[in-house]
Amino acid sequence: MHLSIESVSKRYGRGTWALRNFTLHLGPGVLGLLGPNGAGKTTLMTILATITRATEGRVAWNDADLAANPDALRSTLGYLPQDFGVYPNLNAVEFLEYLAAVKGLDAGASKKRIDELLNLVNLTDVRKRPLGGYSGGMKQRIGIAQALLNDPQLLIVDEPTAGLDPEERVRFRNLLSELSGERIVILSTHIVSDVEATATDIALISQGTLVAHASPEALLQKVEGKVWEWVLPSADLNAARQRYLISNTARPSDGVHARLLGDAPPNGAQPVIPNLEDAYLYCLSQHRAGLVQPGHLPSGAAQ
Amino acid sequence: MTTRRRNTPRVLYHMVRADFLERVRRYSFLLTLAFAVYLGYAAFSGGIIMRLDEYRGIYNSAWLGSLMGLVGSLFLSLVGFYIVKNSIQRDQDTRVGSVLATTPMSKTFYTLAKTASNFAVLASMVLVMAAATLLMQFLRAEDPHIDFCALLSPLVFLGLPTMAFTAALAVFFETLPVLRSGMGNIIFFFVWTALLVAPATQVFDRNGPVPTTGYLADFSGIVSTLGQMQAQVRRTDPAYNGGASLTLGDTQAPPAKRIVWTGLQWRPALILGRIAWSALAVVVALLASIFFHRFDPAREWGRSKKSKPPATAAPETEMQPERIATAQSSAAHLSPLPQTSRGIPFLRLVAAELRLMLKGKRWWWYIVAAGLSIAGLLAPMDAARGGVLVAAWVWPILVWSPMGSREARHSTGSLIFSSARALSRQLPAVWCAGVLVAILAGGGVGLRLLLAGDGHGFAAWLAGALFIPSMALALGVWSGSSKAFEAIYIVWWYLGPAHHTPGLDFMGATPASSTPATYALAAVVLLAVAYWGRRARLGYA
Repeated sequence: MHLSIESVSKRYGRGTWALRNFTLHLGPGVLGLLGPNGAGKTTLMTILATITRATEGRVAWNDADLAANPDALRSTLGYLPQDFGVYPNLNAVEFLEYLAAVKGLDAGASKKRIDELLNLVNLTDVRKRPLGGYSGGMKQRIGIAQALLNDPQLLIVDEPTAGLDPEERVRFRNLLSELSGERIVILSTHIVSDVEATATDIALISQGTLVAHASPEALLQKVEGKVWEWVLPSADLNAARQRYLISNTARPSDGVHARLLGDAPPNGAQPVIPNLEDAYLYCLSQHRAGLVQPGHLPSGAAQ
Repeated sequence: MTTRRRNTPRVLYHMVRADFLERVRRYSFLLTLAFAVYLGYAAFSGGIIMRLDEYRGIYNSAWLGSLMGLVGSLFLSLVGFYIVKNSIQRDQDTRVGSVLATTPMSKTFYTLAKTASNFAVLASMVLVMAAATLLMQFLRAEDPHIDFCALLSPLVFLGLPTMAFTAALAVFFETLPVLRSGMGNIIFFFVWTALLVAPATQVFDRNGPVPTTGYLADFSGIVSTLGQMQAQVRRTDPAYNGGASLTLGDTQAPPAKRIVWTGLQWRPALILGRIAWSALAVVVALLASIFFHRFDPAREWGRSKKSKPPATAAPETEMQPERIATAQSSAAHLSPLPQTSRGIPFLRLVAAELRLMLKGKRWWWYIVAAGLSIAGLLAPMDAARGGVLVAAWVWPILVWSPMGSREARHSTGSLIFSSARALSRQLPAVWCAGVLVAILAGGGVGLRLLLAGDGHGFAAWLAGALFIPSMALALGVWSGSSKAFEAIYIVWWYLGPAHHTPGLDFMGATPASSTPATYALAAVVLLAVAYWGRRARLGYA
């Protein structure tokens, strides 16, 4: 089972390139796709989900070219888009039954699976309520359930935890981890902690290009010795922001505790253990400064 | 804390401007302008003709201005309504409405601003027609003298008040739940017909001058214009019997005689009538503000009586340890799916599409549909074909109208079109479900024709059953909305089957008016057009 994305570019009309020369090869596991707004994450997702065609390049699922045979992937694809709607007059069971029919699933087996999925996403109690009366988080959970209807080998989830409460977010993270063993999961999100909790691989994307593809450990290793905590007076904070990349601040009684990233720390700054958010911000800043070649990571990079 | 003063004209200007720009920067607006250009071309080429029995006016500024003023008033008030009846819906869909609802803007201000914005769109179409009228006079070259006042005054003083009223009516329809839906699109057609016919019959049955009430009730200006034209012809030809018409797709021989129309006389009653319709537009816009929901989701949801209001989402609060434990213990116990599906998946999909189409219909809807189907079986044959079938096949109009556009309307496209064989299975399944609805709704008549051995009649019935869903699907796929089918179908149904008009009768309401081969072929063409449209919209076929 493998997904190959080779030199894929996407241009909308005659306007901007949303994706440029993007290459990635994936096997089973959870890929966390991280990037700022407008980086091209959703464009990549819609190409992989066979919603839109790449302008250039090739996407292949188990060596089958999507452009020639999109159904090779569709029959085993689960897709949760960032924005999607539901039919407001149908209840959860009817809506999932409808999508099961669209996906060509067996009637008896899909009924059982729908019951299990509704239980999994914690919607059993409201299964008979029309979807028009669901909250945003409940609709999102219906979206998660429909993505798992056909037991997908490739599961693409775009901002899946948006609108979920903390309990449901934890539940979804666990679900992704459990599902990842025998399939490829692509998780696109802004929430670094979601990726931290589930991803076996991470791809950083910015301005339509791949900044880095690595394991979480390799990314963390990249910022080893580059994250510092610096205590400074509140009045100096704005000046410090001009000089250093500050990822976080806290204000206990002894002044501002700034978490900063950089090779040359100010006097008095203490080294701290880096987290994935530090690595993300560091890689993006390096990319913007033109210091990193797209996709290249010197050590521990994922295959 | 100080309160910032609102500059009302500036706010109104920006509301109208933003709404107008949002519309005119869509490709659909080009189609709108193309329609206005088409009306001009049709009038130029004789496709639309205004005649007073054997007479028509020479193409001077006054005649062309009056002709185009009426064409604009009549056709743009019908088509324009369907074009602009989405301004509040757009704010709802784009969620701009929620932002506007949090500003100090009053409901009255909002509905007036939306009316003004609708009016701006319709007025832009009138403007295009004015340019077309000027061009037409040059091209026709029957009278080279351009009289701008005579040319433009009917467009401005007949057309614009009609557009203002149409603009306000569109906002009013959007504020009432029952009129906001497809039902409103159908009701408007009958309202529009009544607005035209009621004053016209009052005037054209008489053989004298237009009474004051005729001017006042004249929604479109047709009574005023044709009434004055009739009077002019009567003065020059005592044998003239008062006939007058404005026809789209006129097939008669062109009028042989000419008059020199000197233009509308702007009598006080006529001016008062135009002012009254403009003022009525403001009244309707104000009335709309009473029903406007101000984007309150609770009132929005009130459309569906059976459904409960949206559940309150759980707040993003700090989690209790026991809840975290529960969440962490949620294991994925999913049964494996069989590799092959039992039964015929396509039939399951047709059944699913049929259920989706009929979902939400109330019990009385089914009673009426069943009653009409049974009546088709029991009524005398002529009444069954010419009356019962005509009713039976307009009853499910709102079941057919979302075909092809449901995925766009509810944003479910990305879920459905990422499924295997979405184009080759789902689209035909939708069509089959639509045909099933037609067969069930008109089944009584179909069965009667079959049992009576009326092959031609049955063929006409079958062609109708195939044609209606094909048209719905094609229009839905290409327009991305149910409105196009609702508007076109109801007009066609009224002109064709309801009046047994040969060539337009797609149901075969009478043996004389039915043309089954034509509509069977049209069904195939429309189905292909729908398939092509869906294929073009999908990234991958």
